[in-house]
This record gives sequence, C-alpha cells and structure tokens, in this order.
Amino acid sequence: MKKEKNTEILSPGARVVRWVLSIILMIYTGITIFALSITVMDSLKSKGDIVTNFVGFPKQLTMESYFRVLKEANLLLYLKNSVVLTVGGTLGCILLAGLTAYGISRFDFKGKNFLSGYFLMGMMVPVQVSVLPLFLILKRIGLLNNIFGMMLVYASGISMACFIFQKFFHTIPVALEESARIDGAGDFRIFFQIIAPLCKPVVMTVALITAISQWNDFYMPMVLLGKKTSNTLTLVIYQYIGQFTKYMSESMAAVVITLIPVIVLYFLFSSKIVEGLTGGAVKG
Amino acid sequence: MNKRHKQVKFILPGFIFYTCFIILPIIYVFYLSFFQWSGLGEMKFNGIQNFVTIFTDERFSPVFFNALWNNIKYLLCVWLIITPFQYLMAYLFFIKIPAYKYLKFMIFMPYVISTTIISFFATLIFNPNIGFLNKFLEAVGLEHLQGAWFGDPNWAFKLMILLILWQGAGSGVMIFYSNFMDISKDVMEASRIDGCTEWQRFTRILVPLSLPSCASVITMSTIWALALFDLPFILGGAKGGVSGSLDFVNLVFYRYTFGSALNGKSEIGFGASICVVMFAVMLIITTIQNKVLKKFEYDN
Repeated sequence: MKKEKNTEILSPGARVVRWVLSIILMIYTGITIFALSITVMDSLKSKGDIVTNFVGFPKQLTMESYFRVLKEANLLLYLKNSVVLTVGGTLGCILLAGLTAYGISRFDFKGKNFLSGYFLMGMMVPVQVSVLPLFLILKRIGLLNNIFGMMLVYASGISMACFIFQKFFHTIPVALEESARIDGAGDFRIFFQIIAPLCKPVVMTVALITAISQWNDFYMPMVLLGKKTSNTLTLVIYQYIGQFTKYMSESMAAVVITLIPVIVLYFLFSSKIVEGLTGGAVKG
Repeated sequence: MNKRHKQVKFILPGFIFYTCFIILPIIYVFYLSFFQWSGLGEMKFNGIQNFVTIFTDERFSPVFFNALWNNIKYLLCVWLIITPFQYLMAYLFFIKIPAYKYLKFMIFMPYVISTTIISFFATLIFNPNIGFLNKFLEAVGLEHLQGAWFGDPNWAFKLMILLILWQGAGSGVMIFYSNFMDISKDVMEASRIDGCTEWQRFTRILVPLSLPSCASVITMSTIWALALFDLPFILGGAKGGVSGSLDFVNLVFYRYTFGSALNGKSEIGFGASICVVMFAVMLIITTIQNKVLKKFEYDN
C-alpha cells in the first residue's frame, strides 16, 4: 500500500491538544500493562515473597507456584478440559456454519431469506435466556457436566460465523464451481476441495473470535459444567478469587496459564481479530 | 436426493443443531414459565401465577425491581458514558493522534481477556485488605481515603462501570473506527477543499454517515447490558453485593433457579418466568430504541 501523505495542516494549538490526549491515553493503557505485569511477576515469586512484596520485582525467580498449581491443584486436567472444549467447539462451529452458509448463499430456493434471518436470530438473544432449558436438555440426554455436551452447545452457536461466511461466499465467482461440476465433481467435493481452500483467511478470522470467546466463557461452563472434574480454567480462577488471600501464588500462576494463549494469539493476529469483530457487526 | 433440493444436505446439519440448542431452548423457556416445577417430579400448570408473583409478591418483587433498576441504570451508563467514550476514542484514532497504532492495540487488548481474569485484576487492585489501591493510599499517607471498594454500596456500581469501560469498550471502538474508515475519501477531501473546520467535518460528515453502525452497536450493547452477569456475580457474589448494589436481573434468575432462594427449593418454572420478563423488557427497549434511532438517520 502506498504510504499516505499527511496532507492535513494542523494549527499548533490542535497539535498540542492531540499530544495531550495521546499522553492521557498512554497513561490509561498503563492500567493494562500494570495489571498484566504484576500478575506475571507475582506468579514467579515464592510463597513468602508474594505476601511481603506484593508489587515489585521478585527477589528470586522461581517456578514453584506453577509446579504447585499443576501438581496439587490438578490444573493440568482443567487445562485439558479448556483446550478440548475450545478446539472441538470451534471446529464444530466452523464446519456447521460453513456448510450452512454455503447452502444458503449458493443455491436458489424458496424461503432463502427466511432461513438467513432464522440463523441470525441467535445473535440477538443472549445465552442467559436459554441457559435454563439447555441445562434441562443436557440433563435429559445425559450430557450435563460433560465436556462433549458443552461442545455441542458451542458448535451450535453458528449465527455470527454463518453471517460472516455468507458475506464471503458472495464474493467467490460461481464460474469456479461450474467448471468443476462440468468435470463431474459432486457437491461436497466441490465444497471441500475447491471452496474450502479459498476460505482460509475468513476461516482463520472466524476461528479466532470463536475460540477466544469460548476459551474466556464463564457463565455457560459454570451452569453446565458444575462438576469438579469437568471444570474449565475460568471456573478454577473464579474459585481462586473466592479464596484469594489463601492461594495468592497459585491463583497468579493459574491466571497466567489461562492468559498466555489469548495474549499470544492477540499479539500474532490482532488485526484479524478486529476484522472478525467488525465484519460480524450487522451494519445498517 | 432430488436434484432441485441440493441445498438441503448442506443446510440440514447446521439447521438441526442450531434449532435444538439455540432456538428450541428459547421456546422451551416460554413454555416452562407457565408451570410450577422444582425440576423433579410432576410439572404443575400454574397459568400466569409465576408472573403475578414476580410483580406482586411482597418478598420477591422489591428484590426484582431493585435488580431491574440496576439494569436500567447500567443501560443508561452504556448510552451516556460508554458509547460516547467509544465514539470519541474511535474518532481520535481516525484523526491519527500521536502513537495511535500503539494506543489502538492496547485499548482493544482487554477485550480478549476473560471477564473472570478482569475480575481477578479488580481483586488485586480493590481488595480491601491486600489490594494495591489501599496499600498505595496508606503508603502516601492518605489512609482516610481507603475504602472497602466493592464491599461499599456507594462505590461498587461506579467501579463496575469503570471496569466495563476498560474491558468492554474496545469492541465498540473498533466497530466505529472501521466505519469511519469506510467513509469515502472523496467526501473527506472535498470537505477539506471547501474549507471545513474540524468541528464541522465531525458534526456534518462523520456523525451522520456513521449513524447506521451506531445503531447496530447500540442495539447489541443494549441486549448485553440487560443480560449482564459475569462481573457483578464474581465481584459481588450470588447475593448481588452489599445491600443489593450489584444485583441484576440475571443474578436474581440464577439465585432463584439454581440456588433455591424462593421457598428453599429450586424453582425451574419460576426461574423461566424471570427469563421471559427479562426477554420482554429487552424486546421493548430495543424496539423503542430502534424507532428513535431511525428518526435521526439520514437518507444517503
């Protein structure tokens, strides 16, 4: 992209105002840096050090709270739960949404607009309204307190993904599929071998925002995964907050472990995440 | 399979799952709201008795109205504080204030952090005994300013708004910003040549042209405002904070449905009717809001 020339000529006063605002905002972003760095530093302190030296550099770097939390608090199990749930939920959601969006946008049939609106409805209704019936339904089919049951619920929330995919499919020329069809490829083969590879960027975007929201979710796992063995990381942190003074160093380590994946993803793909978010916003 | 119904095999799996786990529960909650049912045993048809209890029961309705009032208060904060803040922030990025790339990156960052972790940070800072803020005030000799923060009904609500501003504002900022960027460069250029001042450009071009996106952001934040749960639940506990200062409709729903607060047993039917009332309030408010926002929209 051509570097845009700054054609705007600013008066000295306007320039000062901009600098002042920028500095205020820089101080404001300091809150985030402060909270993150305190947590990381405290997680590397020994149990005694953290009490006497809450804010400040560790006297001695030690990984002991990580070992403790992984061994004694069984964090490995919760980490596994969170990873399995997020990966499964995201993949399921993308597969279902991709197929559905393709079906709606590529074929002509009656009730197309209705279906398109029907799949959007989920975005307008918060999960809080449907959590009680979900609890009862999962209980009935024996999947309450079960990672797989929760995964099904996440995979079914396709509204946003379906919406973004539909918009994307409209940009792919139909000619591609027609030539493949003439060569005798079936519908599914066309979808998986010709369309899917073209979708990599948009799949990436949708996968990122879906995975981050599932990884971070607290309410649904709390209600639907109440049993200790099926807990996720966010639930563990919630329990630590309740007994914070008792488990200071453990909770710091647990928070850091939960944060690392999202922060790494954010540093690598922040523009993609923003793209997914703004693309999913219903405009007009 | 019939050649004319090729789309069915693509749509069907998604349709089944989506209907079972997203749409069916919404219908089911309406159905349940007419029953008295503890979750076990027989369901007793109760007519509109549950709704009558919500609005007239002398023990329950004050709790409910307090929670609903908190939701409305929060909604007003979203309209009057959070959304303007997001809009202003997006504008500052749009005019490229110094270091705007760094600022954009940092201001959006809390959005990817779980609300549980945000609450954890809040505990680090505001915990009355070991929290950083009270220690800091002690260290600089301002002990009289120390407070119980989230344990103080005068502070709890305000602090929660600040937390949400810090964490949740990023998404709206980005949506507003991307809409500013969509505005045609020609229009901006023309306005500059015609000698528009910055203020005129803001009020006459940016605001009217970005209204449609505002409408969608405001609608979504309204829905989420009325469904608020995580932060008050973690910071104030299931009881809704000290003297109900952090009590919201969703917490009431949670307490009465899963926490057996009405008659000492869990009340699935009653909980469902709270959901239905919340849903109705949501529909009414978003409908009115859309009518009002339509009035301001320009034809372009």
